[in-house]
Amino acid sequence: MRHERRRRETSSGISFNAVPMVDVIFMLTIFFMLVSRFSSAEQIPMELPKPEHSQASVAKIPERVIINCRVNSLLPSGSMQAVYSVGPNQPESLDVVARRLAAMRKQSPNLKVVVRADRRLPYAEVREVMRMLANNNIDMLNVVAHVNEEK
Amino acid sequence: MRDSPNFSSSAQRHDSVIARVRARRLSRSRNHQGSAITMNFAPMIDMTFLLLIFFLVTTTFERAEGILASKLPTNTGRHTASLPLVPIVVRVQQVDSDHNAFHISLDGFDAQPTTFTALTAVLLNIQAQPGFDNETPVVIVADQELPWDHVVACWNATLNANCQRVAFGD
Repeated sequence: MRHERRRRETSSGISFNAVPMVDVIFMLTIFFMLVSRFSSAEQIPMELPKPEHSQASVAKIPERVIINCRVNSLLPSGSMQAVYSVGPNQPESLDVVARRLAAMRKQSPNLKVVVRADRRLPYAEVREVMRMLANNNIDMLNVVAHVNEEK
Repeated sequence: MRDSPNFSSSAQRHDSVIARVRARRLSRSRNHQGSAITMNFAPMIDMTFLLLIFFLVTTTFERAEGILASKLPTNTGRHTASLPLVPIVVRVQQVDSDHNAFHISLDGFDAQPTTFTALTAVLLNIQAQPGFDNETPVVIVADQELPWDHVVACWNATLNANCQRVAFGD
């Protein structure tokens, strides 16, 4: 065995030991496979509120619809106006969102509404959504915030 | 030409090269027979690289997000009748010109906490007073221009103080 190996090494000149490389690549692959979470299209990236000692809990709500309130990026940076969208949909006016919500409530009466609003938005813009929900007889308000990482 | 010394030496060299190649082939075939099964690593490494690059590119490290749940008043009037208790009104006002500066005050109480952590402590103090407990309704009245972050922070502070009935007012 040893003889053969030596003979082979001398014949090929330089040899490449792939074993440590494969080890490391496997390790990295497994790491990224475990770490990566595929965010859903409904959760549009935005700056969410970060309260101190957050009471927000990670909960799976089975029948839920997400209303995203983002800062309108088309306007100059000083003016904070919200654009509303239902889940991954295109931005719509609040009236259209209300109509969609009413239609969805007809199909599934136990529908829960989750509001994801940008932390920089003025309260008035989110208050409009809260009023709209109250007008649609939705009595539970679920707001998304970052969870406490100190735990 | 054949008798020339140069040619004979090159012919010798040629022979020795052939012999070496043969020997190498022989040793290689012997090798194959000796180890019986060999594994071809190339496709595996290809796949692993592909997976690695996929996960490297798709992975985004994000902060986990959670949900704060509360009740909204509805227009049916069901919730309005059952509140004989005087609520604690927490007012969060914006200090002008600076979007991030805010002022917290509580109606009927002298305390003016400067942070939301301090607001939690103040609410816990009020709950310890006679006539108040964590069932006492808390109404958050925030300025229209106040950033949403502060409203959520205020709401979170009331939840930290274990307040069971939190509502939003105008």
